[in-house]
Amino acid sequence: MAPENPTSLFPITIRRAFTVGRFFVLYGMVVSVLVSVALSFSAGPTSSTTFPFLLPIFSVLGSMGALVVFTNDRVKGVLEYLLAYGMSPRGIFGNFLATGLVLTSLILAVAVGGSLAVHLALGIPITLQLVELLAFYAIPMSYASTAFAASVGMFWTSLSSPRTGMNSPIGLVPFVGILPALGTLGLLTVLATRGVYSSNELVLVALGVVGVIALVVALLLSSTGRLLRREQLLSPL
Amino acid sequence: MSASASIECRSLSAGYAGNRVLEDVSFRIDEPAIYVLLGPNGAGKTTLLRVLAGILEPYGGEIRVSGAPIGDPHRRDQVHYLSHTDGIPDGLTVREALEFYARVERAGASDVERVLDLLEIRALGDRYLSQLSAGQRKRVSIARVFLRERAVYLLDEPTSNLDPGVASEIRALILNLSREKIVIYSSHNLFEAREIGRYVLTIKGGRLTLFSRLDALRSAHFVIGIRALGPSDALTGLARQGDYYLRELNGPEDVPELIRDLEARGVRIREVREMGNPLEDLFT
Repeated sequence: MAPENPTSLFPITIRRAFTVGRFFVLYGMVVSVLVSVALSFSAGPTSSTTFPFLLPIFSVLGSMGALVVFTNDRVKGVLEYLLAYGMSPRGIFGNFLATGLVLTSLILAVAVGGSLAVHLALGIPITLQLVELLAFYAIPMSYASTAFAASVGMFWTSLSSPRTGMNSPIGLVPFVGILPALGTLGLLTVLATRGVYSSNELVLVALGVVGVIALVVALLLSSTGRLLRREQLLSPL
Repeated sequence: MSASASIECRSLSAGYAGNRVLEDVSFRIDEPAIYVLLGPNGAGKTTLLRVLAGILEPYGGEIRVSGAPIGDPHRRDQVHYLSHTDGIPDGLTVREALEFYARVERAGASDVERVLDLLEIRALGDRYLSQLSAGQRKRVSIARVFLRERAVYLLDEPTSNLDPGVASEIRALILNLSREKIVIYSSHNLFEAREIGRYVLTIKGGRLTLFSRLDALRSAHFVIGIRALGPSDALTGLARQGDYYLRELNGPEDVPELIRDLEARGVRIREVREMGNPLEDLFT
């Protein structure tokens, strides 16, 4: 009998995603810290507040290991095996979505920790604005963008025939995954330019966008059974 | 568990994306044995196994496993399914992959140790799956159905792409299993099917066209091959296939008389065998 609670496969899925997608995770960690260093050197506190706006992009890229494992599992018949032993498509999707979020947590821990350490090492003050942007924009937007990218990626992979290279869901999803963050940035820029909102209200707008993304992801996940037929998780080989 | 195990399909239809692959399939199986599932590519063999395994939901009809309907959790605990793909998770060593399967099937650490020995893959335990040959990967894949004992085994081409030695070992394991379990075994290999099967099910165009004991099947032409220890006038004029002289008989009941006749005429017989395979007639 399959695990009634799909979280029993959660730890091993995280390990697999980390092993298979270690390049992505390391890329997310290393590049985000390097960017933080570069920004801090270039213009100090003002420029360092740019860093939180970039963090969701690194998080999306860094968490791609979860989608890689999902795609491999579909092609190699592991998802078919899990379906045969009682796991539901929603349980499978939830397992990989949560795995992506854990990878994002690892990247955020290193990126945020590294960025603050760089500030301290260079004697750059950690401003309240930076802390607010990290806490109320970068971290929630990173989780939301990762969840969005993972959900879209899993649906896309399930609905398409296997392709390799950049013209595959794995190759294209990072570009889709960063769209909410880029869209929010664009919206915030427009609103700020027109003086419609103060900086505090900009954070509220960002959190609103995060809420909408979270709702979309939750709807996708809860509708998995209706939107996807079980055979779409089977190996096309 | 196995004593009461059974599979029953009534008017089963199933397919993909609304396209029917199986149509009006009905049968009942309740005797432990190997049931070889034969059919041309695209006939519906894999689809049938997937429906029996609960992966695909049938469009119509009914499936019962040991009396329980297909959606019943009791049925889940009765059936093992081995797909034609490896189903091996990436990023793990052999031992970790077996632990992954054991977690899914709620088997224990001792079961993992047991199948490492049973499938002779203990030496591979610490190797990553990406480092294994196709045959080694197949062993790992098959190992999972031995983690826990179940009443019904659905095996989709378990020996495909294996070298003859490994295929023979796997067949021996499955034959042993079939003494107490129901094994439905899909294959393209008619000689393998004849070697291990007790029953045969054939599917053509999504319909079950035959369900029979294998030994009840007769070739349309019963041809015997005779291999002699030396040349003999009694064999002159017979058609040959390799070392075998061919004789067509009415049926197996004529074989003893043929042997007596040849020996009486001085032929020193080394071997007599049936040259045809009755299963071949099912596909001609």
